Amino acid sequence: MTTGNAGAAQAAVLDEGVASVAAPAARRRTGLHRRQWSALLYLAPAVLLYGLFVLLPALHTFWISLFSWDGVTLASWVGFDNYRRVFTEPLLRSSVLHALVLILFFAVLPILLGLVLTAILSRHRRRGMSAFRVIFFLPQIVPLVAVGITWRWMYADDGAVNQLLRAVGLGSLTQAWLGDFDLALVAVGLVGTWTLTGLTTMLFLAGAAKIDTALFESARIDGAGAVREFFSVTLPALRGEIGVALTVTTIAALASFDVVYVTTNGAPGNTTTVPGLLVYRLAFTDGKVGLASALAICLTVLILLVVLVINTLVGGQDRR
Amino acid sequence: MGRMQRPARVVAMAALAALVAACGGLTPGSGGSSSSATTASSTSSAGSSSATGSASGSDSASGSGSASSGSAGSSGSGSASSGAPAVPTAVPTDTIELKMAFTDSPDMTKALADAFHAKYPNITITTQYTQFNDYVKSLKLTMSSATPPDIVQYNAALKDLSAAGLIKDLTPYEQAYGWDTSFPKSALDMLRVDSTGKILGTGKLIAVPAGLSLVGLYYNKTLMKKAGITAPPATLADFEADLEKAKAAGLTGLSVGSLDTGGLHLWGSLLNVLWDPQAQRDWVNGKAGSTISTPQALQATQKVGEYASKGYFPSSANGTSENDSATAFAQGKSVFHINGNWAAAQLAKALGDQVGFSVMPPATAGGKAVGNGFSVSYAVSAKTQHPEAVAAFLNFLQSPEATKIEAEGGFLPPNAKAAPAATGVLGDLVTANQKVVGDDGLIPFQDFAAPAMLDALESGLQSVIGGKEQPQAFLDSLQSVWSEYHS
Repeated sequence: MTTGNAGAAQAAVLDEGVASVAAPAARRRTGLHRRQWSALLYLAPAVLLYGLFVLLPALHTFWISLFSWDGVTLASWVGFDNYRRVFTEPLLRSSVLHALVLILFFAVLPILLGLVLTAILSRHRRRGMSAFRVIFFLPQIVPLVAVGITWRWMYADDGAVNQLLRAVGLGSLTQAWLGDFDLALVAVGLVGTWTLTGLTTMLFLAGAAKIDTALFESARIDGAGAVREFFSVTLPALRGEIGVALTVTTIAALASFDVVYVTTNGAPGNTTTVPGLLVYRLAFTDGKVGLASALAICLTVLILLVVLVINTLVGGQDRR
Repeated sequence: MGRMQRPARVVAMAALAALVAACGGLTPGSGGSSSSATTASSTSSAGSSSATGSASGSDSASGSGSASSGSAGSSGSGSASSGAPAVPTAVPTDTIELKMAFTDSPDMTKALADAFHAKYPNITITTQYTQFNDYVKSLKLTMSSATPPDIVQYNAALKDLSAAGLIKDLTPYEQAYGWDTSFPKSALDMLRVDSTGKILGTGKLIAVPAGLSLVGLYYNKTLMKKAGITAPPATLADFEADLEKAKAAGLTGLSVGSLDTGGLHLWGSLLNVLWDPQAQRDWVNGKAGSTISTPQALQATQKVGEYASKGYFPSSANGTSENDSATAFAQGKSVFHINGNWAAAQLAKALGDQVGFSVMPPATAGGKAVGNGFSVSYAVSAKTQHPEAVAAFLNFLQSPEATKIEAEGGFLPPNAKAAPAATGVLGDLVTANQKVVGDDGLIPFQDFAAPAMLDALESGLQSVIGGKEQPQAFLDSLQSVWSEYHS
């Protein structure tokens, strides 16, 4: 995504450059030509690298998505049939639904929790802030595969979650969480919440640190309580950070793979399958590389659309 | 950091797919002339048959289908009989170095290579280990490269590679060496594949087994006594009565780990004893017209759901992996456990003389010994420069020296008669293996029926165990995966 934005920015720069030189172009044709060429020369390395390693593979993926291909033997042309299957096969459709549910746990919950933590931590300048930051950011540092394995054990029949429930007298609620048809997706989602809350808290704390303390003081003088202070001072100041957090975490939800792969691999009964998992499965296990590519393209388009919507919403408010 | 990683993953995935595509796309055109020849012939036959099919009108689809499958079958048998010119069985005497790619049992593989070198000092085998997941993923690229390893451990992906002409047809060597008598028939048949690469159990031999695996019933003798069970169950009815006794005694009957492959072992074993072995093999092998929507398979599936609802195994099964369920059994948490020979070493270590192994109890007393199993087997690259030396190594796998190494590696040697004496649960395994081989009862794992079958089986069995799917709907879903692959 970062590279994508960079690429878009470069393209914009290129457009502006071309536009600015295009006007005098009518008058002094030859000189301009040279400038245009030299501009392209400067852009060439970046364009070449970006094209070779991002655009070309992406286009190739699209090309493959038009074939039925097992990865070894000769592919056969099927046109857009793979796309039809993405939209009609229940397993593929339900995986997209699961990814949308995960947005609640990967994006909405971490942002709400992050805001609450920020509200508590940022009201006063206090000692040991960096210690808090480290503690809350810790889940982000642990590799996701390790996080997944740890949670798989914690969710197990005699794992930490059930031990805790038994210890407080809620033994009747214990179960193998990842094996329950209704709760497995929630259980996987909460792993994401645990991981991503650190990221959002970190972002929001950094954003809150920029707020002029005088604002808090004047709010207090006006008689604002902690809640009013949060909604009137902290929250508006964090709009930009919320936008970034929403973008990043939503992408994490839609493109999730590792946590699901390690904890449930789609179990039980496909209740936790997500598109990323199916792309991997279809391409490398089932030998349906064309269908996998079609799903990957659809997933990319979906993510781009969602990011576009988020950026429009947040960016629009920012410019007011 | 997470911010960069995840979006990058989508792109990376796409790029990976593209890279694989690029490499794979290059090979058939540039390197493997034989592979393009195979595909060309198959397309031409499909083309001609569709021409005749269109004449017959609305039936063209089914007509062309049967025509192409017929031609595929005949070309398969043709290649097998064209191997008639005898190949030499004399072991070469010049200095030869063979490369071998593998993923299972590094100790055993290394020992086999060393023992072969000790017997034929002029031939050296260099082994190259790759961790399983990476092995499966890289296999297609490795074998379609210009310099593939001579010997390669068999994996289901080799079926496609065989269809692309990259794997050597070993049928001539089978005839020359007489492997059909020195290796168990059921184990060799699992390694035959037709020219389309989709139908197993028939056509050319593409690999030779070094060690067999077998799924069966582990039992904890101490807990059996506690539950008032006097002997391991002789029939399926006995087994169910024992599970009931265990339940009455407040014990867990079975430990099942259906989060991944564990549910498959329970269901597969029930299927094995309830359904005709040949019908099961035909279905797994992809024989035209096979179906799993049978009363016997329905009965096996119903039993899985019934065991779950009666509490014969814990309700947490869907949240437990196969490994964790084996660990639970090793900790004495259940009376029975259905698993493969690969778990024996761990269980023997934990439970010692308390643990025993038998084949899954047959449906009727005195029934045949059957069980799911496969083998660690080795195939040969079509590009190898030393086919005679490689064949000598494959033949070596059933020698007494190799048999000893295979048994020590935790596998059941293909040459069961030469297996060294073993005690405890390992001895039980050897006995069970000899029974199954004697009754020709080894049945390939059901997930080999199609690449997408494992996921369908795992998620389907979770649904059956959770009471979310009717057994018949489960079988129908399996059959639709089968039909899609074999269409």
